[in-house]
Amino acid sequence: MANKKTDLIQGTLDLLILKTVAHEPIHGYGIAQRILLTSKEMLQVQQGSLYPALHRLQRKGLLKSEWKESGSGPMGKYYTLTASGRKTLQEEQAQWQRYAGAVALVLES
Amino acid sequence: MRFPWNRMESDLKREVAHHLDLLTAEYERRGHSHEDAVWMAKREFGGSEQVKERCRDERRWAWMSGIWQDFTFARRQMRRSPAFAATAILTLALSIAANVIVFGVLQALILRPLDVPHADRVMTLARTDQTYPIFPYPEVGDVRDASTVFSAVAAWSVWDLGLEANGVTRPVWAFPVSGQYFEAVSIQPFLGRLLGRADDDHPGASQAAVLSWPSWQSYFGADPNIVGKTIRLNKHPYTIVGVTPEGFYGTEKFVQPALFVPMANAASFGEGDLESRGYANVWSIVRIKDGVSMPQVQTELNTIAAGIRRQFPKADEKLGFKLTRSGLMGDFLGAPARAFLAAVMALAGIVLLAACANLGSLFAARTADRTREIAIRMAIGSSRWRILRQVLVEAFVISILGGACACGIAWMALTSLAAWHPPTTYPIVFFVTPQPSLILMALLTSVLAGVLFGVMPLRQIFRTDPNDAIKSGGNQAFAGRRWALRDVLLAAQIALCCVTVTAAFVSLRGLGKALTMDMGIKPKHALIAKFELSQAGYLGAAADQFQRRLLERVSQLPGVAAAGYANSTPLNQDTPTTEVFSQQTTDFRASNRAFYSYDYAVSPGYFSAAGTALLAGRDVSFADTPKTPDVAVVNQQFARRLFHSEDAVGRYFKNSSGLPIQIVGVVADGKYLTLSEDPAEVAFFPISQEAATKTSLVVRIRPDFPDDATNDMAATVRKVIRDLDPSVPIRESSPWNNQLGMTFFLSQVATAALGIFGAFGLLLSIAGTFGLASYTVSKRLRELSIRVALGGQAKQILAASLGRMLILLGSGSLVGIVLGVAASRLLSAVVYQASAQDPFVLIAVALTMVLSGSLSVAGPVRRALRTDPATLLREQ
Repeated sequence: MANKKTDLIQGTLDLLILKTVAHEPIHGYGIAQRILLTSKEMLQVQQGSLYPALHRLQRKGLLKSEWKESGSGPMGKYYTLTASGRKTLQEEQAQWQRYAGAVALVLES
Repeated sequence: MRFPWNRMESDLKREVAHHLDLLTAEYERRGHSHEDAVWMAKREFGGSEQVKERCRDERRWAWMSGIWQDFTFARRQMRRSPAFAATAILTLALSIAANVIVFGVLQALILRPLDVPHADRVMTLARTDQTYPIFPYPEVGDVRDASTVFSAVAAWSVWDLGLEANGVTRPVWAFPVSGQYFEAVSIQPFLGRLLGRADDDHPGASQAAVLSWPSWQSYFGADPNIVGKTIRLNKHPYTIVGVTPEGFYGTEKFVQPALFVPMANAASFGEGDLESRGYANVWSIVRIKDGVSMPQVQTELNTIAAGIRRQFPKADEKLGFKLTRSGLMGDFLGAPARAFLAAVMALAGIVLLAACANLGSLFAARTADRTREIAIRMAIGSSRWRILRQVLVEAFVISILGGACACGIAWMALTSLAAWHPPTTYPIVFFVTPQPSLILMALLTSVLAGVLFGVMPLRQIFRTDPNDAIKSGGNQAFAGRRWALRDVLLAAQIALCCVTVTAAFVSLRGLGKALTMDMGIKPKHALIAKFELSQAGYLGAAADQFQRRLLERVSQLPGVAAAGYANSTPLNQDTPTTEVFSQQTTDFRASNRAFYSYDYAVSPGYFSAAGTALLAGRDVSFADTPKTPDVAVVNQQFARRLFHSEDAVGRYFKNSSGLPIQIVGVVADGKYLTLSEDPAEVAFFPISQEAATKTSLVVRIRPDFPDDATNDMAATVRKVIRDLDPSVPIRESSPWNNQLGMTFFLSQVATAALGIFGAFGLLLSIAGTFGLASYTVSKRLRELSIRVALGGQAKQILAASLGRMLILLGSGSLVGIVLGVAASRLLSAVVYQASAQDPFVLIAVALTMVLSGSLSVAGPVRRALRTDPATLLREQ
């Protein structure tokens, strides 16, 4: 796979998962793939972190899950955002953008 | 079982599997073969178990599901090694049951206060000059009248009365109580009223009786209209005025009276003179006023005692008062009971310690067994806490099971003890109802012991490098040459068990001696019928006539070798005493007294019926009457004490009223109050000179008759008495040996208790030794089989495998015997002639330890010797 992988900054994984799930119901493998694709193969999510994070977000009530037929093959566990998940996503996204903007300002000065 | 976490578990498994499937499909799409794809997917995913474990940690009920998994695992582990589980549970159950039982008795007899309001203010008046707290009635009156610190001072006693109700006469035990008795205990009646000061004002003031709850239940069918009914006590009409509440048994914890009557009526029951200052016959309880301190009470008691001593110097010149705890006859029974229970509690503690040591070595062996498993778990990422938790849960399950078994055993034992009546005619009952708090204590002890000793061995595991443990299979790491914690524990345990075994043997030996000792009587082939003639209205000459007629009838029965009667018989716990003065005495004050002597009134023929040897002089005779000179037969000790020689026939002594009494015969010494007493002085007076209504008819059957003929004769004698007068309430008519039960009771109880602890200790040490021996052998089977393969001799194999066991056994036993001998000095207080220096005891203990030791290592030894190197090496 890709060579120029960047490790995720601590704390950003939850945000990326929420954002990815926001588009449509999606299973764990799909989340990892989509993050890889949309980041142009820059960000690779470790499976070892992905599933604990999914379970954590579910426990916090930001995600819900159900078992569905996937397009082909066996049943998959599909995650969707809950209402509070959507709210948290907006807040965290705004906060991240402020933070990234601030870091950019410092770096470009 | 379907639990939320079970569903979550399968969910997680499916989710991970799904991910792997998709990943595999991806690699296949890129052109890898299926096998390669599966392998690559797995590699990319990483440790799926670790991922699962981390997911589990994220869940809401994570810890719960973990614990549940631990429980399931613990259950599986126990099923896999039932011997370990059973040994551990049994060890805990036995040792904790022993402790709970002893503590239950301790709680019932000593710790629990009386069931009366402000029980701590109710005390027993006791004497400073002797432990038996008995007083002449007038002295209690003096204390009552002179004291200001008590709100009530009362006298009480126990009388044997004939209760006639609904046409049946029963012998019952009554508490005669003085006027302030119920003020002192401050209870409320369940029905009607209690006895008050007016009832006890003067003899005949009131013919009122109060029933106790149990007699109201059993004799009167719990009749709710009982108040106002008339009963007859020794033929005197009495009115029932009330019933005491359930759970009130007076102030003594083991006596259960049937009813309470006014003490003022003593004379009408023939119960002696209440006004005499020379005859101590009542016990006393007091209630201390609120706010009065103990020093204040003592100061006042000292003043009152000094006053009495000044006023009546002849009567009671050593008098001194003090207060003791109520419940066990002051310190008379209380002190020995406390001492004995403390000793037994200590033994129970030792058993518990030994059990803990046993448990410790069991768990240590087991943990060592699992070194490899635990190392693997740590290697694949299990946390230490997780492993600790698992071991904790396992120890917890075992200790809960052990505690539950212990509760069951203890509950059964205590309930049957409460339902049991000791072999005596006295109304003795043990109120040892098991308390719920005991269960809690048992479970707590169990869990504490189990968890503590279950977790301790983990230290060695955590110190280990998983790599080493896996490589060596955990086999050689611990079972080898180092002295481990469990070795020390085993030696300690054997030593402790040896102490309990020694104690058991000492008391067994003591009991054996007590049973075969010379008691001065021959209870075999003899029976006693007991009755109180005053209960049927016979007094004075009428009683004398009845007794003689009965003796005539009984003597003529076929099979009777000898018969005689007395007011009481030796070892019957009710022996009166009399003061003895030398012939030269003229001033009969107490300090001039030669000694106290036991005092029996006997009929002719009594000595041959009782089997007491007449050594010199003559038997008493019916020709000795109040009109002829006073005579007595004394025992050897009496003669020795008074004349410093056994040649006493024809010589004189005086009683407290100065009457000279001629000694006409000397009989052999015996035991009169307890088996452990020193030789005591006894005088036997002719019953024809000193009439008594209280009768013990002793009948000896011919020696060629079988033993059970005594029982038949007892029934015949009962019938003869009935034929003479059916209204005489017969308290007892049975073989003498049965009636001596109470005499042997204390040493029997002690022996039984100590024997059980000895057996517990032995069981524990066998279990512990067996466990460690078989563990050692199984851990070193590989090494042993190599030795066998290389031509090792049986002796070498044994030395290699079990040499250390023998050292442990030997040193443990040695220390134990020394400790046991030291501890057994304490036993001599309870068990007659208990001596640990007895070579018999030492040899028996040593033999027992050797036997049990060999028994417990026999199995492992066989296993070690039968090792087939080929099979074993192939297996490993």
